[in-house]
Amino acid sequence: MEAHLRPLCSPTAILCPKPSNSKLPQLLQRPTSFTSRFWYTVSTKLSSSCRFPPTVLLGTPDSQVSTGLNTDTREWAMQDFYFLRRDVETTVARVKETRDSACLQQLEQEVADLELKAADSSFWDDRAKAQENLSALTDVKDRIRLLNEFKSQVEDAETIIKLTEEMDSVDNGLLEEAASIIKELNKGLDRFELTQLLSGPYDKEGAVIFITAGAGGTDAQDWAEMLLRMYVRWGEKQRYKTRVVEKSQGEEAGIKSATIEVEGRYAYGYLSGEKGTHRIVRQSPFNAKGLRQTSFSGIDVMPLLPEESLKVDLPEEDLEISFSRAGGKGGQNVNKVESAVRITHIPTGVTVRCTEERSQLANKIKALSRLKAKLLVIAEEQRASEIKQIRGDVVKAEWGQQIRNYVFHPYKLVKDVRTGYDTSDITSVMDGDLEPYIKAYLKHKYSMKVTAAGVV
Amino acid sequence: MKLSFSPKLSTFLKPSLVTNLHRSVCSSSISSPPPTSLIPQTPLFLKPPIHSAASSDLQKWHDWAKSLASSVGSTFVDLDNGPDSTLLCRELKWLMEDAIEEESEGLENNQRSIRLRVALEELYMLWKQRVEERRPFQYVVGCEHWRDLVLCVQEGVLIPRPETELIVDLVGDVVLGNEGLREGLWADLGTGSGAIAIGIGRILGTGGRVIATDLSPAAIGVAGFNVQRYGLQDVVELRQGSWFEPLKDMEGKLAGFVSNPPYIPSDDISGLQAEVGRHEPRVALDGGINGMDDLLHICKGAASMLKPGGFFAFETNGEKQCKHLVEYMENDAGGSFFNLKIVPDFAGIHRFVTGFHK
Repeated sequence: MEAHLRPLCSPTAILCPKPSNSKLPQLLQRPTSFTSRFWYTVSTKLSSSCRFPPTVLLGTPDSQVSTGLNTDTREWAMQDFYFLRRDVETTVARVKETRDSACLQQLEQEVADLELKAADSSFWDDRAKAQENLSALTDVKDRIRLLNEFKSQVEDAETIIKLTEEMDSVDNGLLEEAASIIKELNKGLDRFELTQLLSGPYDKEGAVIFITAGAGGTDAQDWAEMLLRMYVRWGEKQRYKTRVVEKSQGEEAGIKSATIEVEGRYAYGYLSGEKGTHRIVRQSPFNAKGLRQTSFSGIDVMPLLPEESLKVDLPEEDLEISFSRAGGKGGQNVNKVESAVRITHIPTGVTVRCTEERSQLANKIKALSRLKAKLLVIAEEQRASEIKQIRGDVVKAEWGQQIRNYVFHPYKLVKDVRTGYDTSDITSVMDGDLEPYIKAYLKHKYSMKVTAAGVV
Repeated sequence: MKLSFSPKLSTFLKPSLVTNLHRSVCSSSISSPPPTSLIPQTPLFLKPPIHSAASSDLQKWHDWAKSLASSVGSTFVDLDNGPDSTLLCRELKWLMEDAIEEESEGLENNQRSIRLRVALEELYMLWKQRVEERRPFQYVVGCEHWRDLVLCVQEGVLIPRPETELIVDLVGDVVLGNEGLREGLWADLGTGSGAIAIGIGRILGTGGRVIATDLSPAAIGVAGFNVQRYGLQDVVELRQGSWFEPLKDMEGKLAGFVSNPPYIPSDDISGLQAEVGRHEPRVALDGGINGMDDLLHICKGAASMLKPGGFFAFETNGEKQCKHLVEYMENDAGGSFFNLKIVPDFAGIHRFVTGFHK
């Protein structure tokens, strides 16, 4: 151990790097950030005494006490070092890519703009708006901080690699440090990328999922119920508040339709890609001959938007509101808890229904806000600045295209039509293990967006 | 005579005397029942969650209740246009909502004990009453969700219908641009649970008041509870008596009045949906031979009660009654009204007659 460390003890190795590597002195001069503190510790200890245990180097700022000496001090084979070096190189590239695509300059401009607004004397006149502004400011600042952290962390790892190369020997502790930096950094980059992918205006909101059994009778209704279970499981796994607010039973088995409300951050962002037709192929338990059967169910997803954010004006005359009320003379003659409300937006043909509330007015209010949310999303998708500009014909394709196949028989396979992602572990998928599908779709969507932007 | 309703909420929450209330009310004489006996039943959702059940037992009850609902199929629909299984299942869900302290996330963890507002045995009884006796769901849970209100209801008091929600909108429209009406004195004749009076009380201006009348002491009791629950004691005043009778001091002073009087022809009562015909108070439904006894009585009084420019709106059984009443008000009432309108309900049935006093 001592022998390995000795070259490091020469202060020049650290304090006088080659001119091309100017990062280290900078780090040393910034005592505020975590990484620089780390390096500061190293250099002072190095100059004062050569006889420190290697674990000190490894210690995070929180715990500089020696723990887990055995694992930390395992010998680094040359091969390991090359792997690590490759990892560091890839991560350097990834950080650069992330920072480039995040348009750091633009973000800084945004901060400047928002701060200017916040400084205005009339800023607090509109409280809601002010709050919105401030939270946007925090968001952007957080992003910038993260991006800078990525850079300094990857530079630390890079420095360790370079140092090791310059020295003829290997310092286990340093390399362990680099490896753990890279591991954490990649996790951080994953998280950052995902939030990048979820940058749509409503992605942060909760979501409402509508499930409708397709044609195909009992088999399709059973399929709809399987999907209902799948999404509820998914929601529970994400620790979202998941509630089945409406469920209409099928005659024999399964459900005709259901509505799930999923409350929690980014629920809509994750789920929005689930919108479409889901197809099942199996030996139907409802088919006496046990023949292979294909059924469909439609999934519609819209954001669960707070009332005050629905700044859409829908003129009365554009709306066709119908109330379901079981026949007869009505009024005092009838007492049924049938208070369903159905609203059609005439210009676009978009229709929503709300049956779960217990009074007509409550159903109407909820249906109206669902309609607004739906129109806002469609406007966003069609890049229309106003609801009026939405084209009805595009809207009418009810659940859009088929997005995913679930084959139970003759083989097991769940394959997403859009991303090509597939797995044969159909049980896990039906248990709500949708993460890989959701991530694959978000990446797919993001790359499509980037390509589209690149072409223009 | 003015009934004052200032007892503390705890008085209302006492379940004593309650069980026999509707029966005694139905048979009691109209004249002067002591107001102290009118303690309304606490609706299920307001009862304290002092009971509990293992979630597996609750699940058992739920499965039983669901299969009972499913066994109904379309029997009631064919019999008297009653509810089908789907509607009963929806009611079951709401019953759970009201009976369980917190909405639990499914009933999967069998070990968990769930806090209930009513004992499990009573839940069995309540659902049996609902399906087998056709007891209206709203009486079972003791409340009706109406507009944005949750109103306490019980036997002896008409359950407010969704159609009637529109009367509040009609009043809302006329008071919108008219300060005289918005700050004026209104009346709700035959208020029942107090639904319309409370609905209107919430949209009037700071100076606006509503006097709600009802013949039935049970209704006055329940309406008082509801008014109190929405903190409208200073806005809605309750008076017991028949139609305009308790309003003698208000002649010519009303900015407007509304009413949903009994309007079903006597002969139709026996053929009504069991929930209505067998359980709701006949006095709130039966409008005499052609169903118009009370409507005509109210029309006759309208001119003397309303101040100039005053507004009225009432609910009817449909097109025939609407036409008849408009004709009556145009001709027989000596042309003291203008802007008479027939307004359809959401099902397109001509349901309301509205107009203004000259």
